[in-house]
Amino acid sequence: MSAADERRVSDPLDLEAPPGQARVSTAEDEDGAPAHDGPAADPQGRGRDDSEKLDQYLLRRYHLHGDRRAREQLITMYLPLVRSLARRYASRGEHFDDLVQVGAIGLIKAIDRFDLSRGVELTTYATPNIVGEIKRYFRDKGWSVRVPRGLQELNIRLNKVIDELVPKLQRSPTINELAEAANATPEEVLEALETSQAYNSVSLQASPNGEGGEDDAGLIDYLGGEEEAYDTMEDRTTLAPGFAKLDKRERYILHLRFFEGQTQSQIAERVGISQMHVSRLIRRSLEKLREEIGELDNPQIMRPSGDDHR
Amino acid sequence: MAERIDLEMPATLNALSTVRMVLGGLGARLDFSLDDLDDLYLATDGLLRTALDADPLDRLSVEILVDDGVLRFAAGTFRSARLRAEVTLHAEDILDLCMLLRRTVDEVLLEDEGGAYRIVLVKRRKGGPA
Repeated sequence: MSAADERRVSDPLDLEAPPGQARVSTAEDEDGAPAHDGPAADPQGRGRDDSEKLDQYLLRRYHLHGDRRAREQLITMYLPLVRSLARRYASRGEHFDDLVQVGAIGLIKAIDRFDLSRGVELTTYATPNIVGEIKRYFRDKGWSVRVPRGLQELNIRLNKVIDELVPKLQRSPTINELAEAANATPEEVLEALETSQAYNSVSLQASPNGEGGEDDAGLIDYLGGEEEAYDTMEDRTTLAPGFAKLDKRERYILHLRFFEGQTQSQIAERVGISQMHVSRLIRRSLEKLREEIGELDNPQIMRPSGDDHR
Repeated sequence: MAERIDLEMPATLNALSTVRMVLGGLGARLDFSLDDLDDLYLATDGLLRTALDADPLDRLSVEILVDDGVLRFAAGTFRSARLRAEVTLHAEDILDLCMLLRRTVDEVLLEDEGGAYRIVLVKRRKGGPA
C-alpha cells in the first residue's frame, strides 16, 4: 500500500485540512466513502442521499475499523441537530449551553450504540437519544429536591399556561383559571406552584427570551444595556451589605418589585422570563438577604445604602 | 359568608409551610390572582421569619379571616420591641420588612393586647375575574 493509499484509509476525510481542501476520499474507497468537502459540513447542507451515505460511511469507519476520528466527525456533524433539539427546552429554566452539553452526551451514546445491521438512519436513531438525555437531565438535575414527575410536568405546563393567560386576560390569572387551563385541580396547581420553588434558576448568561441562540444577548447584557433605572438602582445597591450578595438580575428584579412597585407579571414581561421564575427569584433573593442579615447580625440587612437610618 | 380559621403551632420555621398551605387554599377560594397570592406568601413569610427571630415564643397563633374578597391574617401574640419597630418603621431606599409588607399587602395593623400585640395583614382581592 502506498503512502497515499495509507493516508486515504486511515484519514479519509483529512480532518486537519482546511475546509475546501479536504476532498481526499473517493468513490473508489474500500468502504465506499462519498465525496465530502470539509470536516464540519452540516448534514442539512447536503442532499439527503449524500448525508446518509456519509453517515453510513463514517459509522462503518468507527464501528468496523475503530476510527475515532470518524466518530468525532459524526459528533461535529450532528451538533446542529443537538442545538436544535436543546433549543426546544431552553425556556424551561436551564442554560442553553448546558442543554447542548447534555444533548451531546445523548448523541455520543447514539453513535456508540448504533447498530449498522438495522438499516436505520443515524438521525432517526439519535434524535430520541438526544431528547431522552435532555429530559433525563431535567428530571434528575433540574430540581434541587426530589419532586414527583407528575408535579414537574404540571409545573412545566403551568409555566406555559401562565405565559398564555397573562396577555389574554391582561392580568395575573387566578388559581382556578390556571387549574382549568392546565386540566388540573386547584389543589394540584397550588402544590405544583409550591414545588416550583425547588427548581433551579436559569443562568445569568441565558438569553432573556429563553431561546439561547448564539446571537442572543445574555440576560445580564440585556439588563445592563437597556434599563436606565437599573443603572440608577445599581449605584445605590452595589455596595450595600445585603444587596452586594445578590447578582445583577436579582437586584434588578427586587428593585422593580419593591422600589418601582411592579407586579410579578409586569416584571416577567419586562425582563422576558416567566412569572413563576420571577416568583422564584424574588423569594430566593429575599432569602439571601436574610442570610446576609444573619451573618452580619444586623436587623437592617435588606438595606441598599450603608447609612444607619434607625 | 365570613370564614375564620385558627392555627396554633409550635413557633418554628415549620409553621411557615403550614401557613402557606392554608393561605393557598383560601387564596384560591377567594379567586386571588397568582400575583396577589405570591405577595401574600412573601408578606407572611417575611413577617413570621422576623417574628420567630425577634420574639422567643413557644407557640405561634395565627388567625385567618376571609370575607367578601378580603383576607385578614393576624399573628401573635408578640412582645418584641424590635419586631414592632421592624414592622412599623421604614427608612427611605431600604428594603426592610416594613417596605416588604407595604408593597405586598393592603394594610398592616398592630392590635395591642395588654402589653403585647398582634400583627394584622389585610389583603384584598384585586385584578382577578369580575
